[in-house]
Amino acid sequence: MRAVLATARGAVAEAVGNPGAFWSQLLAMVLNDLSWLVFWGILFERVPSVRGWTWSDILMLQAVLTTSGGIVLGPLANARRLPELIRTGGLDAVLALPVRPLPVLLVRRVDAINVGDIAFGVALFLVAGHPTPARFATFVFVSTLAAVVFASFLVLTGSLTFFSGSSSVSDLAFNAIVMLASYPADIFGGATRALLYTALPAAFVAAVPARLLRSFDTSDALVLAASALAFATAATGAFTVGLRRYTASSLWSRA
Amino acid sequence: VTPIASWPVEAARSAARRSLRDGGLVATLGFYVVVAEVMGALWRATAGSRGADLAGYDGAELTWYLFTSEALVMCLASRLIERIGTEIADGSITVELLRPAPVLGVRLATELGATVPRLAACLGLGLPLAWMAAGPPPRPWALLLVLPAALLAVACNVVAQHLVAAWAFWVRNTGAVWFLYQKAIFIAGGMLLPLQLLPGPMRAVAWLLPFQAMAYPPARLAAGHVEPWLLLLQAGWLLVLWLVATAAFAAGERRLQVVGG
Repeated sequence: MRAVLATARGAVAEAVGNPGAFWSQLLAMVLNDLSWLVFWGILFERVPSVRGWTWSDILMLQAVLTTSGGIVLGPLANARRLPELIRTGGLDAVLALPVRPLPVLLVRRVDAINVGDIAFGVALFLVAGHPTPARFATFVFVSTLAAVVFASFLVLTGSLTFFSGSSSVSDLAFNAIVMLASYPADIFGGATRALLYTALPAAFVAAVPARLLRSFDTSDALVLAASALAFATAATGAFTVGLRRYTASSLWSRA
Repeated sequence: VTPIASWPVEAARSAARRSLRDGGLVATLGFYVVVAEVMGALWRATAGSRGADLAGYDGAELTWYLFTSEALVMCLASRLIERIGTEIADGSITVELLRPAPVLGVRLATELGATVPRLAACLGLGLPLAWMAAGPPPRPWALLLVLPAALLAVACNVVAQHLVAAWAFWVRNTGAVWFLYQKAIFIAGGMLLPLQLLPGPMRAVAWLLPFQAMAYPPARLAAGHVEPWLLLLQAGWLLVLWLVATAAFAAGERRLQVVGG
């Protein structure tokens, strides 16, 4: 655990080492996230709700999505880069350390631009989420579980690169989950909707947490927690099994 | 020996061959289907809940609009601005300066060569899917205009991305700009929704910007609104963007300093 924390501290120091670049990227991401609110604002100018989702529900969906997504793509940036690291033999530096590789690998790089997502998500909740201590605790709880589902899904699909040697599937999986998580799960029907709660768990990254913020339901919270646990277990297993097929590259600086 | 004047053509053909061989085409098509399905479902749900049309579009027209507009953006290389900016900032573009052919010309040809097969694949897949989701095209013969409009839209977008990336000659880092450019296409370009749905002041601004040429016209045509003048608008914007991008690259190349080799 000390090694993970020390690595994370180093990654944060590296990310903020150039304050001008850090803050400009953070600001750019906040503006990027604001543009999604503009889109939803335009839509809800035309209709009061879409399949039961109102403007305030969408604000909470965006708050959870940007917070959980920001955690995974910012401080845990290597979750997204895993296929590239596997394909190019970029895990060597981590494998040489006397620690479990996956946790260190995940915290080894911070993508500054996605830290803007976290700032935006938390700020959006504080402005539009009617914050109270209890609601804020719920927000932290559901956003954390959503981040676990999202990170685990990326590690799970990224680990397929150990077997296929290609990152095409994980690229598609990443883009698909981000896209599908950005919209209320209820606009979909049939097989697509079932997919969002199972193999492609986009509903657990934003829609289910946002529903919990609207009205907390213990059984829904347990389902979310169980999903996080299941995907985390599957991701760890896939990475561990896949690592046996990893081919080193004698490159020491990419992870 | 290939004549210098043929370099852009050769670059485009080579890039097209690579694009077809590349496994990324499958990922592009997969993501395109997901995005188009999501946006189609959202706007059909919205039009359905309203029970009538939205700014002149019914649910079927919106489906045709979105399957077309998404194809125009999905077919482009992701984070192109960031990649060009990095190649300028780290000096790798200097190798291209050694060639007896304009850097911008060869780059545009290469990018368009790689993009056109992906565009054909996205539209080839997307238009039948739109038909399955929403019925036949509102005005089938309007689809004849979609193809030239789509090519002009993609060309405008590629040239504009090079223009924005040229900023790297001065600031070195264009990574963050990519996100903002992308969102400008999404909203002011009409990718996520027809421009008629924008609120008044925002719509007025969008009509003045070049982003409208990059997604809206082909999508509007596919939705059954036969307005051939949209192609002239696109051609005008393409000329303007090309002239400005050429000037920006010329100024940037004069300014470029590279340390080491």
